[in-house]
Amino acid sequence: MSVHAVPLIAHFRKNRLLSSLPSTEWKRWSASLEAIEMPLGQVLYEPGVALNYVYFPLTSIVSLLYVMENGASAEIAVVGNEGIVGVSLFMGGESTPSRAVVQSAGSGCRLKAQIMKDEFNKAGPVLHLLLRYTQALITQMSQTAVCNRHHSLDQQLCRWLLLSLDRLEGDELVMTQELIANMLGVRREGVTEGALSLQKLGLIKYSRGHITVLDRPGLEKRTCECYAVVKREYDRLLPPGIAT
Amino acid sequence: MPLVTNTLIDTLPRAARNRLLSICESVDLVAGHIVSGSDAPTRHVYFPTGSILSLMTSNKDSPVLEIGMVGSEGMMGLQVVLAAGSVPLEGSVRGPGTAWRIATESFNRELANSRALRQSLNRYLQVILLQLTTEARCVRFHQIDQRLARWLLMTHDRTHADSFGVTQALIAHLMGVRRVGIAKAAGTFQRRGMIKYVRGVLTIVDRTALESESCSCYDTARKTYARFMS
Repeated sequence: MSVHAVPLIAHFRKNRLLSSLPSTEWKRWSASLEAIEMPLGQVLYEPGVALNYVYFPLTSIVSLLYVMENGASAEIAVVGNEGIVGVSLFMGGESTPSRAVVQSAGSGCRLKAQIMKDEFNKAGPVLHLLLRYTQALITQMSQTAVCNRHHSLDQQLCRWLLLSLDRLEGDELVMTQELIANMLGVRREGVTEGALSLQKLGLIKYSRGHITVLDRPGLEKRTCECYAVVKREYDRLLPPGIAT
Repeated sequence: MPLVTNTLIDTLPRAARNRLLSICESVDLVAGHIVSGSDAPTRHVYFPTGSILSLMTSNKDSPVLEIGMVGSEGMMGLQVVLAAGSVPLEGSVRGPGTAWRIATESFNRELANSRALRQSLNRYLQVILLQLTTEARCVRFHQIDQRLARWLLMTHDRTHADSFGVTQALIAHLMGVRRVGIAKAAGTFQRRGMIKYVRGVLTIVDRTALESESCSCYDTARKTYARFMS
């Protein structure tokens, strides 16, 4: 497993929520933010278990998954450098309804639960920012539900690739088909077939766990409307990114 | 006959409740009326007292899906609480009846001044987050008869009566499935004495049987609501 360097404080601002904090808030927060590595597969939360931290991905991507009684799971939303993992916490909850797991390795930082709650309750700009993020997340969850119901595996795969790509710095995802199948809640064979057809169309290249996106507009054309709806809401509700 | 009110409002501390009620307007909603258009500025928030409101996705290129059902336990217009102004979802009246309605600006003023209201709505937001998680999971993994049983129970909880008007075509539309699927499942429920369906009126006959037919999503949602809101 590759080692990811622990980020410097200045890099914390790669997170769009953190980067848009006013200077007073940023000064207060940066003293408490703690840099962490986020290796692939790391579980940040289990459903129903008390939350100790909220997490801000910097170069990593985190999946929020729903878990079935039989252990099967599927993704309901992704969070990258545009967001925060653990919105239930500042809503006053002690735990979350989903499991949060690192889907793409990288760096991040975290804040103690109590500090987050105090900041949220101070109202002001932080409250506003976090509320709007929650609305964006709700839109993503709603679209996941409708996508699960109505769209082909191919379209879902494109949506998933695009959402992931938006949260990464390059064009490449390190990801096994097995893991994608788990995220989408489908059989691995379906993902293999879908990835092959995208490869034949020249949209992606897949080799040994590395997916390279070759034709992004092509993926956008092939996916369902869900991607555009989610993207538009994130762009509308969240502060603009600084890295992209 | 007990007066039907709204649980979110009823459970506020007295002072906060009275202030909120003083800016509420009582409205009688007719089925099919759109209370908030997709991507349109939200003009009012609603606290149903006798009506049922539906929150639907509104994709242009595919069928819709009901992702939220709001009755006297909840509120329609959370995007206002989340400082978003609009939302790519359509809110419409599914079951006719009464509701408290508040203009967005008045509601925002009250929200800024009332810590109790903010806290109560934050708790309700968690219920909604869980409901959405459950919904995404349910449409992916559960069978149509489990989902129908759950949908009937959720509607029953919000109707305050054992009978309500609904067509199978509407249920199919809301659940994002084909009509024949609903007809088949409803036929089975009827034969087993769980429901009665006569000329557009559906009667819940055996709730307990529906509860055991439903997937665990129903029970999960009910427990979550009880945990957060009581």
